[in-house]
Amino acid sequence: MFTPEDMSKVLVVAPKDQIEAVVRKLYSLNLFHIEDYVEQEEEGYEGYRIGMPLPHGSDTSRELLKLRAVTNAIAVQADDVSSKERIASSQLRTRIEQDLPSIEEEVESLLDRRSKLEAEAKEIEQVIETLTPFANAAVDLDLLRGYENLAVFAGYINAKPDLDVPHEVLTAPSKSGNLCILWVSAGHRNEVERALLDAQFQSVPIPDESGMAQDRIHYYKGKLSDIEKEIESVNHALDSLKDKHQGFLVACDELLTTEAEMAEAPLRFATTENAFLAEGWIPGKDVHTFIEGMSVATGGRAFATELDIDMDTDIIPVEYDNASFAKPTEFLMDIYSRPRYTEIDPTLMVSIIFPIFFGLILGDVAYGLLVLALALGLRKIITGDDGRMLLKILRNAGISSIIFGFLFSEFLGFAIPGIEPLLPNRHLAIGHAGGHGPAVPELMMMTVWIGILHITLGRIFGIVNHARQDHGKHRTLAVLANVGWLMVMYGILIAILSMFALPLMPNLTGWPPLVAGLTLPAFIGLGMLILGVLFIVRDSALEIVELPTILSHVLSYARIVGVGLSSVAIAGVVNFIAIGMFIEPQLEHLTALGVVIIIVGAVVFLIGHIFNTILGMLGGGLQSMRLHYVEFFTKFYKGGGKKYNPFGMIKKFSED
Amino acid sequence: MADMTLEMVQASQLGMKALGAGIAVGLTGIATGIAEMSIGSAAVGATAENKDIFGLALLFTVIPETIVIFGLVVALLLLF
Repeated sequence: MFTPEDMSKVLVVAPKDQIEAVVRKLYSLNLFHIEDYVEQEEEGYEGYRIGMPLPHGSDTSRELLKLRAVTNAIAVQADDVSSKERIASSQLRTRIEQDLPSIEEEVESLLDRRSKLEAEAKEIEQVIETLTPFANAAVDLDLLRGYENLAVFAGYINAKPDLDVPHEVLTAPSKSGNLCILWVSAGHRNEVERALLDAQFQSVPIPDESGMAQDRIHYYKGKLSDIEKEIESVNHALDSLKDKHQGFLVACDELLTTEAEMAEAPLRFATTENAFLAEGWIPGKDVHTFIEGMSVATGGRAFATELDIDMDTDIIPVEYDNASFAKPTEFLMDIYSRPRYTEIDPTLMVSIIFPIFFGLILGDVAYGLLVLALALGLRKIITGDDGRMLLKILRNAGISSIIFGFLFSEFLGFAIPGIEPLLPNRHLAIGHAGGHGPAVPELMMMTVWIGILHITLGRIFGIVNHARQDHGKHRTLAVLANVGWLMVMYGILIAILSMFALPLMPNLTGWPPLVAGLTLPAFIGLGMLILGVLFIVRDSALEIVELPTILSHVLSYARIVGVGLSSVAIAGVVNFIAIGMFIEPQLEHLTALGVVIIIVGAVVFLIGHIFNTILGMLGGGLQSMRLHYVEFFTKFYKGGGKKYNPFGMIKKFSED
Repeated sequence: MADMTLEMVQASQLGMKALGAGIAVGLTGIATGIAEMSIGSAAVGATAENKDIFGLALLFTVIPETIVIFGLVVALLLLF
């Protein structure tokens, strides 16, 4: 539960002619995490070479590449296909040979046609673009080019150019500026060019068309819409192809992927002339089935055995071993880092404490219900594994928010009538006088307690980790250092309590002073502090600089109240604006305008609370996660474990 | 100041408290914003390169949130 799945190291040795049988069996078992063989002339491995792929490998890869090109082009995704019936592998293989090429051909020809049409459409768009400046010019485009003795200029200009050569000019105002077309004799070309440049003339290309520009644009636009219609029909044909074949295509993809993976497996084995050996990891409980399965699959010609694990050099892959309740939280753990094989896996603790923190922060029955509804409603839309896990975490968080909502007696920021809050009061008097405000000192002390307990748990895990992982003198020092951190924390707490009486804390102020005004608890607290610091320094003197984090980490849990109260405050403000300012005054004398204002108030109420739920979810989720990652994990957790990734695949669309 | 009544003094004390609370939240909010600015831009860049680190990037970005939360705590203690 607090440790990852127990792993065993196994070795499979067999003659080379059994390689395919072994690979197939390994794949179907879906247990064997292959330890890749690297050629580095290690002792005991001299003369071994990396294996060659199975003979059909390159064909399969080529086939797969072609298939992927098609499935990508028509956006077939395995997640969108519901696997109602699975296709048998043998049937699939014959269909791959018979049907697949024609489907691929059909898709390719449609894609070809579409890209040709798109290129055509682009060309026409460009022509329209060159024609557009001339749309308002009342001149046949034929008159703009093809002269031997005349030069034609066309472009935008602000002021009329001052030309002292004979010229003909035509202007046409349009939205993008004044179009000006100039005809001058070819001999004056350079002169005119210079004059135009001075007048900030922006030249536009003269289109290679004949007739009125307006008519030509109209003609091309008609052509463009025809092409677009055709593209539409091609897309439609592609869609109907996708609908018809996507089940088959994802099944093909799956089958070919498994074939390709199997074909490439020998690249990860060590081989000699006549034999090969594969090293890897399997869960300890499956060793027996594994060894037996290998022997059965090869008619007793493969040898499989369990090897000794060298804890110092072997990197053991890590698979979580959690109760189903804690499974979704593995997602939060993987975001940070997977635990190492030898350290405590805190997933279970996180799966319990995360929803509690979330509930303490959001703590509102209505918001909890909204979060719960969201988590349940999104299940249909989000189908990926990670997404599902996240939704389950959200669901637990929502349930916890409802429970804490009752404990805080909150519903959309209102007090629930008839229920007195069991936890310190968080209600704010917004918009009306009376009632006592939130019990902030009690809430703060509550979070201090939560912080102290959470950090204590982290340090205890730290002690266990060091006791498990380290050896000799270092082990004792590391364990004592963790005890030291705890002693410093509690020492400071006792010393403070001996001087101040705080709510929700034991009162230690009543003791008679012994020396210099200090009481017995004060001495105990200071003693613990000094002893603790000594323990820490013996392990590592540099850690002294970390001492202030004891205070800052405990106080950091105040965010539970801070973020929580701000969400209550926003809810209160929304209620006051919507009900106190919009709805209530209108209800006294109902008028037609009043009804509109009441509706506005209702909209404000709705949007405000939805907005606050989203904020609360973000705040509650992120802050609780952060309290785990920064305040909790830094006390014991290293992470960096390698993911257990067995060779094989759970088939969804095909079956053997 | 001699003609100030007790009610006036109390009212101005209340006002000062509210001002103090506002300054505490406001300044710490600005500080958090400045601190998150560079982390956030780096996090967005890193996430664009590799989507897998989104979770971690988000987490790094909210680390300076502590500053504004301390401000909020101080404000709450001042007000209540």
